[in-house]
Amino acid sequence: MSAPLDKPQVVSHSQKSLNYSLFDSKWIPCSAKFVCLGSSCRGTGLMQIYELQHGGIKLVKETEKTKPIKCGTFGASSLQQRHLATGDFDGNLHVWNLEAPDVPVYSVKAHKEIVNAVDGVGGLGIGDGAPEIVTGSRDGTVKVWDPRQKDTPVANMEPVEGETKRDCWTVAFGHAFNDQDRCVCAGYDNGDIKLFDLRNMSVRWEKNIKNGVCSVEFDRKDIQMNKLVATSLEGKFHVFDMRTEHPTKGFASVSEKAHKSTVWQVRHLPQNRDIFMTAGGAGNLHLWKYEYPAKRSEMDGDGEERGVAGTLNLLQNVTLSTQPISSLDWSPDKQGLCVCSSFDQCVRVLIVTKLNRV
Amino acid sequence: MSLDTISSSPLHTQPASLTTHSVPVEHLDYKYIEKCSDLKYLEKILGVLRSGKEGIYPHLTEFCEKHVEKLDPRSRALRKENFPATSASFSKDEWDQITNELQTWENEIKINDVELNKQLFFCNDVNIPPVRGSNCSIQKVTYSGDKAYSKTRHLPRSYQDWDKFDVEKECAKIDETLTTNESAAIIDDSLLKIQSKIDTTGLTEQEKVVLANREKDKGNEAFRAGDYEEAVTYYTRSVYIMPMTTAYNNRAQAEIKLQRWYDVLSDCERVLQLEPHNTKALLRRATAYKQLENLQMAHDDINAVLRSEPNNMSAQRLLEEISKKINAHIHHKPNKGKKLLIQEVEDDDDDDDDDGDEKDDMPCAGGQSAGENRQAAVRGGMGNAQKKAHSGGARGPTANKYKVKAEGEPAAVANRKNLANGNSTAQPANGRPDSPGEERTESTCASGALPPPLARLKNEGNQLFKNGQFGDALEKYTQAITGFTEAAIDSPEDLCILYSNRAACYLKDGNSSDCIADCSRALELQPFSLKPLLRRAMAYESLERYRKAYVDYKTALQIDSSIQAAHDSVNRITRLLIEQDGAEWRQKLPEIPAVPVSLRQHHTAATSSTHLHKENDTQEAARRAEARFTSLKTEGNELVKKGQYQEAVGKYSECLKLKSDECAIFTNRALCFIKLKRFAEAKQDCNSALNLESSNKKAFYRRALANKGLKDYEACSSDLQEVLRLDTSVQEAQQELDEVTALLKQQRATGSPSQPRRDITITEVEDYDEEGDAVKSSSDGEQKSTSQTINLQPSNAYEFGQALNAARSLNDTAACAQLLRTVPPDSLPQYVSTQLDGHTLSFIMKTLDTHLLASEPGVVYQLLDHLHTTERFSMVLMMLNPDERRQMTQLFEHLCSVDCEDFSQNDIKNLANKYI
Repeated sequence: MSAPLDKPQVVSHSQKSLNYSLFDSKWIPCSAKFVCLGSSCRGTGLMQIYELQHGGIKLVKETEKTKPIKCGTFGASSLQQRHLATGDFDGNLHVWNLEAPDVPVYSVKAHKEIVNAVDGVGGLGIGDGAPEIVTGSRDGTVKVWDPRQKDTPVANMEPVEGETKRDCWTVAFGHAFNDQDRCVCAGYDNGDIKLFDLRNMSVRWEKNIKNGVCSVEFDRKDIQMNKLVATSLEGKFHVFDMRTEHPTKGFASVSEKAHKSTVWQVRHLPQNRDIFMTAGGAGNLHLWKYEYPAKRSEMDGDGEERGVAGTLNLLQNVTLSTQPISSLDWSPDKQGLCVCSSFDQCVRVLIVTKLNRV
Repeated sequence: MSLDTISSSPLHTQPASLTTHSVPVEHLDYKYIEKCSDLKYLEKILGVLRSGKEGIYPHLTEFCEKHVEKLDPRSRALRKENFPATSASFSKDEWDQITNELQTWENEIKINDVELNKQLFFCNDVNIPPVRGSNCSIQKVTYSGDKAYSKTRHLPRSYQDWDKFDVEKECAKIDETLTTNESAAIIDDSLLKIQSKIDTTGLTEQEKVVLANREKDKGNEAFRAGDYEEAVTYYTRSVYIMPMTTAYNNRAQAEIKLQRWYDVLSDCERVLQLEPHNTKALLRRATAYKQLENLQMAHDDINAVLRSEPNNMSAQRLLEEISKKINAHIHHKPNKGKKLLIQEVEDDDDDDDDDGDEKDDMPCAGGQSAGENRQAAVRGGMGNAQKKAHSGGARGPTANKYKVKAEGEPAAVANRKNLANGNSTAQPANGRPDSPGEERTESTCASGALPPPLARLKNEGNQLFKNGQFGDALEKYTQAITGFTEAAIDSPEDLCILYSNRAACYLKDGNSSDCIADCSRALELQPFSLKPLLRRAMAYESLERYRKAYVDYKTALQIDSSIQAAHDSVNRITRLLIEQDGAEWRQKLPEIPAVPVSLRQHHTAATSSTHLHKENDTQEAARRAEARFTSLKTEGNELVKKGQYQEAVGKYSECLKLKSDECAIFTNRALCFIKLKRFAEAKQDCNSALNLESSNKKAFYRRALANKGLKDYEACSSDLQEVLRLDTSVQEAQQELDEVTALLKQQRATGSPSQPRRDITITEVEDYDEEGDAVKSSSDGEQKSTSQTINLQPSNAYEFGQALNAARSLNDTAACAQLLRTVPPDSLPQYVSTQLDGHTLSFIMKTLDTHLLASEPGVVYQLLDHLHTTERFSMVLMMLNPDERRQMTQLFEHLCSVDCEDFSQNDIKNLANKYI
């Protein structure tokens, strides 16, 4: 094994204990600031903006909302506007202008119950096509919103009447490589992963990974589907090669059990799609690299093309806390800089070094 | 699930496994562990040891860990819980680097942030596609089976409905012929749908940079995954948004993988335009050249790389391959080369595997291919830092080289030798074998000749240069220069030539700054020498120092206005400067030195000397030249008397090199040419003579003979008439005139231009001592540069353009007329095509009017009838000034008044409408 310092190192830049429950943290694009979303002890929502300053972090703005905020994304906003879309415990989707966060610029009662996950595409130069926000909720539905259209979603994916509604824990956009193609991937508490093709308005692929799906993410939103990572309860995660779909066997995948408990979150490095970090329930982070196989597809006996999964290489792992790490976000601007929030009411800024050398 | 490769981790399943398959205590032993090669079992042992159930043995545990690592360095059992690194985990330098980097980024991004906020309220939705559902073609399909959702697009849809919805069926209903299978397993063909262009309207510069970098990163990632087509697409998108060298460079690399060699060339050239010394681009271009079998160019590129980075492994390897190939080409005939090509392709395939070690410089065999790939693609933008460090290190010797050269030449020689040989072993600085002291004795040689050893060096250099071995030639010249300075020879012109030649080597090697230095030295020795000036201009131009280049070109043109390349370059640079500096560009120029009239060269391109000696004829040499001149001339005259015309031409040409304003030499050489039936050259010489002395009857007479030889009886007759006007007593002229008139009539009658060649008897006996008073009699105004060979039989557009320009710059309408006669009228537009501008047009008009109209109105009509179909003709018409317009009107008036069966008055009127 190479000398320990040749590997990427996870450096703790700064951390701050907060007096409220943190659910999500996101870098504000093109800035040294990030926003923390959570719930105060009084049961209201909190939105705080922190900025890196001289080796530390400093609170620059705080806004209180009526309902606890569960999740947020900048993905559907232009770089000029940088509006934050959030989902709250009451099922509302809001879009905020962080310069004037008192009144939302867009607001809709999206779901009957808590919005567990939100993702955006079409903004920040990521993904061609219209800006769209997808929300997934405990009410079992996944809805796609266009901030230019009031009140109604542009697409809605919900279970049939009578079927038990599964709690949707995570949603992600992908396949947005031109202005028509676009996919939404959703993960449910029963281990279902569903891939919806928004262009054809159809379910493109389904898969059950046995344990509840905590987080799904495509390695890139704005290319043809390449890889999808899905993390689950019980510490396992799967990487699917989404390039080649076999008619019966589906996508090839590799899985890894690395964490001792739930893998709460997976996030790909914005500067290198083959490197990603998983955040575990025991307060640890694992940094992975996906190695492609020599040939990504091969012919099986029936003349059908079948994908070949690659291998996973653990680059580094660190333990930050005893409590689960609930969210992780890479800075889109500075390679290796990330922020994570954990259930010990702590927000941490980390630097991962030598990422360009792996 | 069958495709999943699930691997259970022994570490985490430990508690369960331990109870079922326990490890016997005797296996917890150094010897046993050392011998055991069953990885699974070893991991189990390690688990027991770590658990401490059988006692705590730290050293044994460590030993076991090491053994496991030996068997499988990636074993999961080795994973340990780590804690985030802190400043203590790094050396001070590393820590400083990390913190400084972050601090710099923080400061930069904050500025960007503020700037973005300023533009906050400026946003437009121009390039955002409409809301989903309002234009999606597939949604216009009516869903018969699904009434609830058919009315509005926005109603919720259940999973089952999603499943029921069968796009294929719906599509097929509408369009029976449509058989595409959207949900097919293979989706790779949809790659075509990635648009290569991106709508960037309304984006700020900042956003474009972000976007361009992002597309480039996507390209890099696709490259690493082996999707070269996709990588090319993303790089294309990146450069579409914003041209960056890295994106072009990386696209070139992807194109190498796809073996699109011409694309590689064009991309590399774009990079080199922006960054002339970009090593990667040079290497990639070399690879492409190599594949295209353009070995010399590949060789040049690699040499350029090795000059800046002598230790570049991939370049050295590529150089080896290419040298081998070149040798193979020399020794064997092409069929062997074919074989090699295949071998090369195999090499490239070898490089495609992607799991090599990426940290090393150039690990793979294909030289440039794989190692370079990774350097370029893996590191992308950020990763270049490491590479830069490498090249920075390599620049050491180069910098050193410059320094050494400034101090003393011998060291530089050794250094260059190293570079040329491509090895890095240092030679002793005084390792030059030949001692210049012995050469001094011979340096008293007359008339600018170099002492033999130096002359030999120079000739060797020239030979190497001609063979394209610029590096070796460079070395020779350097040796010659060193020897020269050490021998203290007082012959600035020779030194000037040496410097100039060495500059040419530098220029060929792309080493512009050294080229400039040498040219400047040469020009200090010999102000206003043409070649150093031109070379320096080219070097400046390649360094993008356009103002200086412009001045040099202009100066060179003052000396010799007939250098087409210089004209072209001046035009090009003018455009660039206007772009750069706007309309005021001239004011920013350094002063253009005025060239003394005596130095303006009378260029004798007719002799087309391939030597590099031409700078000889300058005032310093004049004294010495005078004696030599006289002797050469007498020798020439003697030879003529003996009838050895060829040799005589040689002598006269030598004379002209020494002194180009001697009218008699021109006329004498013209005679020789006529005797040798080289009429075009003869005519050229007569023209030169007449330019020096406008009423030289010999020149007129000989030009008449030449014209007769060229079957231009018209011109011949006019020349003879001129002779008779000057001196009515010339019998021969009268006789010739009669003969020519007869021929002329005959030609007009038959109308056929090709007549059997007649033998022309030249009955001229002359004395050859006529130089005396003739020299100064003519008007000085005629002394501008002339005597450019005008090729009157152009075979293609380029030659025609050259000839036409030459004629125009000499204002030689006769030559132009001759030229126009030789060109078939219907191909005239092709010949003129891009050359046509207002001046050329008016010159052609003038020629037609003065020379051709009277004698051949039919031809004039034909020419005019075709000329207006030239490209850009209407544009050119608009640029004519009033005088030129008047001239044109005049021409048509004259044409109207001529009576000819080839055309009617109406035809002329129609034609005139197109011109006026």
